[in-house]
Amino acid sequence: MTYERGLALCLVLEIALFASIGWNFFTAGNAGEIVRASAEIGLLALALTPVIVTGGIDLSVGSLLGLCAVVLGVTWRDAGWPITVAAAAAVVAGVVGGGLNALLVARLGIPPLIVTLGTYSLFRGVAEGVTAGVRNYSDFPESFLFLGQGRIGVVPSQLVVLVAAAIGFWLIVHRMAVGRMLRAIGFSPDGARYAGLPVGRRLGSVYLLSGMCAGVAALLYVARLGQAKADAGTGFELMAITAVILGGTSIFGGRGSVGGTLLGLATLAVLQNGLRLADLPAELAGVVTAALLLAALGANRVLQGRSRK
Amino acid sequence: MSLITTHRRELSVAAAYGVLLVALILFAPAFYQGANLRDVLVGAAPVLVAAVGMTLVILARQIDISIGSQFAICAVVAGMLAKAGLAMPIAAAGALAAGASLGALNGVLVAGFGLPAIVVTLATMVGLREALRWATEGVWVQDLPPGFQWMGFGQDVGRFAIPGLALVVWALVAWGMRHLAAGRAVYATGSDAEVARLTGVRPRRVVFGVFVVMGALTGLAALLSAIQFIDVQTNSGVGFELRVIAAVVVGGTSIAGGKGSLVGSLLGVLLLATAGPALTFLGSQAYWDRALQGVIILVAVAADAFGSATRLKARP
Amino acid sequence: MSLLRLQDVSKAYGGVRALRAVSFDLRPGEIHALVGENGAGKSTLVRILTGAVEADSGTVEIEGRRVEHADPVAMRALGVAPIYQQPALLPDLTVAENVAMGLERGGPWRRIDWPGRRERARQLLARVGADIDVDAPAHGLRMAEQQLVEIARALGADARILLMDEPTAALTDREAERLFERIRGLRAHGVGVVYISHRLEEVASLADRVSVLRDGELVATREMAEVDRNELIRLMVGREIQALFPKRTVPRGDVVLAAEGLGCRASGIHGVSFDVRAGEIVGFAGLVGAGRTELARVLFGLTPADEGVIRLRGAAVRISTPAEAVGLGLAYLPEDRRRHGIIAEMSIAANTTLAALRTISRAGFLDFAAEREIAASYQQRFAIKAPSIDAAVATLSGGNQQKVALARWLATRPSVLVLDEPTQGVDVGAKAEIHGLIVDLAAQGLAILLISSELPEVLGMSDRVVVMRAGTVAGGLDGAAATQEAVMTLALGHQPRLSA
Repeated sequence: MTYERGLALCLVLEIALFASIGWNFFTAGNAGEIVRASAEIGLLALALTPVIVTGGIDLSVGSLLGLCAVVLGVTWRDAGWPITVAAAAAVVAGVVGGGLNALLVARLGIPPLIVTLGTYSLFRGVAEGVTAGVRNYSDFPESFLFLGQGRIGVVPSQLVVLVAAAIGFWLIVHRMAVGRMLRAIGFSPDGARYAGLPVGRRLGSVYLLSGMCAGVAALLYVARLGQAKADAGTGFELMAITAVILGGTSIFGGRGSVGGTLLGLATLAVLQNGLRLADLPAELAGVVTAALLLAALGANRVLQGRSRK
Repeated sequence: MSLITTHRRELSVAAAYGVLLVALILFAPAFYQGANLRDVLVGAAPVLVAAVGMTLVILARQIDISIGSQFAICAVVAGMLAKAGLAMPIAAAGALAAGASLGALNGVLVAGFGLPAIVVTLATMVGLREALRWATEGVWVQDLPPGFQWMGFGQDVGRFAIPGLALVVWALVAWGMRHLAAGRAVYATGSDAEVARLTGVRPRRVVFGVFVVMGALTGLAALLSAIQFIDVQTNSGVGFELRVIAAVVVGGTSIAGGKGSLVGSLLGVLLLATAGPALTFLGSQAYWDRALQGVIILVAVAADAFGSATRLKARP
Repeated sequence: MSLLRLQDVSKAYGGVRALRAVSFDLRPGEIHALVGENGAGKSTLVRILTGAVEADSGTVEIEGRRVEHADPVAMRALGVAPIYQQPALLPDLTVAENVAMGLERGGPWRRIDWPGRRERARQLLARVGADIDVDAPAHGLRMAEQQLVEIARALGADARILLMDEPTAALTDREAERLFERIRGLRAHGVGVVYISHRLEEVASLADRVSVLRDGELVATREMAEVDRNELIRLMVGREIQALFPKRTVPRGDVVLAAEGLGCRASGIHGVSFDVRAGEIVGFAGLVGAGRTELARVLFGLTPADEGVIRLRGAAVRISTPAEAVGLGLAYLPEDRRRHGIIAEMSIAANTTLAALRTISRAGFLDFAAEREIAASYQQRFAIKAPSIDAAVATLSGGNQQKVALARWLATRPSVLVLDEPTQGVDVGAKAEIHGLIVDLAAQGLAILLISSELPEVLGMSDRVVVMRAGTVAGGLDGAAATQEAVMTLALGHQPRLSA
């Protein structure tokens, strides 16, 4: 709680700072831009929150996003499927990819870092193989592009998806029995098993969910940029993980919150956007992010140390 | 304890590598002609050098995902020192020192402040990469003195010397891990840091040490890679950390620490480095290289998991 | 002169005083027992002696010389060797290397002499009478073997002062007897032993003197011959404990749980048959390794059975996961509390309801009010000492943690309760409370399986005793027939007991 408040304060200060030095920063239009630019990573970060709460990690989400984007392109243009069916196929591809992670982590008990390191290469590699590394799908129909470029009133259409996902994940992590189980697994997988919890199934489900979100994020990505290529979403996994950790979720599992993840995401998104509008070098974002991450670790340690005594 | 039970993974990776080499003899003998094998080895040398460091890091139950960014910085440092007119040995030492310092930064944060290595090195990965781009504005280091490429020894010597040097480093560290107290301390720390402390090992010092070694070896890897080209790129090493970790994991070093060997890592590096070129010689397209890397990683770890599951069931 | 002398040693952890002005001495060739309830300060004292922590005030002298700035390496060099309950070996390293660790001098760049290490390990292990492959990795050794490796290491260090913390907790009686023999042997060489144990019988037969710690203070040091068991207990708890085993006779109901020819190859049990009735406490006795915990794990679906039948109220059931077992009304309080019994970082409330999440959720959503109500009712009923039900279980004492672990299972409203070493590592006061709870539960009609390595506990608590040996049932003993001798005869089988 206290950590989240601290982070919220940071975000407010950050916004105030950019509002005072940036051109056109504090406007509704720019807020929409920030949301648009961060929706896909936001979706991945939300899905990674329960994964990291179980003490796991999923490095493959960025690659899977790329693979799903390619599936969308292949099924729509090459196979000639209707765009809605192709979109569904892309999400299914995400679920299948997540299912592979789930199988290897939950059934075979291989450390998630290793499993998703392997699928990180595999998913991107299949995307590259299918497109021969260069093929680019574009000219998607307007109705589909609305998902990434349209507005409902003043609200960018991605925001609707992001808010729905945030509410869903908040309920799962904070209000449902499943969330309690995920925490127990994160603190102690053995302890959770001895309490009669279905550890394997729960672990599998978070990776499945993460794969599904990668599929949905692929739709947002393709609709926003209007093109699907094998390199879609490169490096997104690291930004999503950064947002989750910055949000106070412990890499060791057990502790974490969806609200924190959203705050972490907003802090990063505002930072990048604000630096650009303030005519400061964009590279500063990476340096500040690194500093914030380390500060977050330190702050969490101090807070936990205090509550333990 | 027979060799077969204690070195299962090394043997199975060696067997897989053997099968690959034999398949190439049978179906694509052209692979062994010309400079192919040599090019594979030259390309694998930097990965091998970094994998030596990463094996130590993972044995000590840590991880370092910042080495791709360290790699880029060290290459630029070497290039700039050479361009500034310093002798090549000094430029080389500069690259190693830069790597060691960056490793020390990770080491202080992990061992000194007790922060989790994966998050610390995620932060330094992002921070260092962007800091480098900021400092160089993405401009490559060009117009290097002639002595830079191949360290002035020329292409023919260089192409032997680079894999040769990598193998010497590997052999020295492999020997030290077995026969020096410091090497055993790395195993002890990864096996159980608290117990190790009670027997007189200083785990924090060990952890700090492996990060410094990791950094220095990354510096060497960057140097061995940079001197193969005329210019030094400022965005090199993207994804390097994952290639290196993959090789170590395929080689059987346990992510839980304390278990693994440099022999395994060498085999992992060779297998992953040969698989891609072999694929093209066996008639497939090069675009599938990365997918194959992923498959190799997954098969290696899944085979282990299956193996241990059946072994447990078979026990009376 | 004393081998070891502590003068007015105090230690506090973040405001909590763990030791208060403790003075203690150890003579050469003496076995000096240290007893006290959990939390009395024994482990803190051991940690100071091993150099793992430093005292805040007071002095430590070894052979007359004051020790300044102790650390593990320095204390070992002074001849202090700790032998822990859970032997502190490095699991991935070989036996030879484990023996060598801490014995070798020199900097990090010294060369390892592997043949020398192996030879030395063989010699030292021979001295403690252990036949162990020095090239085997330590994680494959049995607990007793690991302890022998540690003692061998202590001998290698020419240890003058051995610190033994519950060394027999995981040993069979025969292994323990052999260990005592070794300890007595060391005494003849002028080695002093600080011996910590909860088992007062053991202390009585082994120690020369005994010191009692209570709430961080050393309340008494006596010659062992001059003090009896009851007085020791009184000194430890500072009050009289009434009847240790509050057995009540309860009318027995129908058979709830029955096993017929149950077996599991992976965990080495076979042909196990028994039944338990409602309201009955059936004790499971046997040596460590006889298959009792393994049987419990099979019943609970942790290692599913591959032969035989489990019947619940007469109907054959298949239990292949713990989740299924819980669904059928089984509950298992595991032996290793900290790793399996509780989730230390979670609150009392979350731990209490963890196995019964279904009962506190509607359509998958948690009902927090219902959760607090359940947790609060168990806190009151079990007298769990904690500031609130939101306190992390890690902050509680061992006995209170065990009560939370037990509450978790009662919240599932089970019909069968399997208790595995329910009072291990629990202090005397909490032990009596837990015994009382178990008897109450039986009176409410639960069928209870009680696994315990403490024979008096099994005999005192159970209506019937099932004795296991080598993975199967060696025999059953009813009521009065269940005596220490009868149980031990069955547990040991027909082999003549090795003379001590």
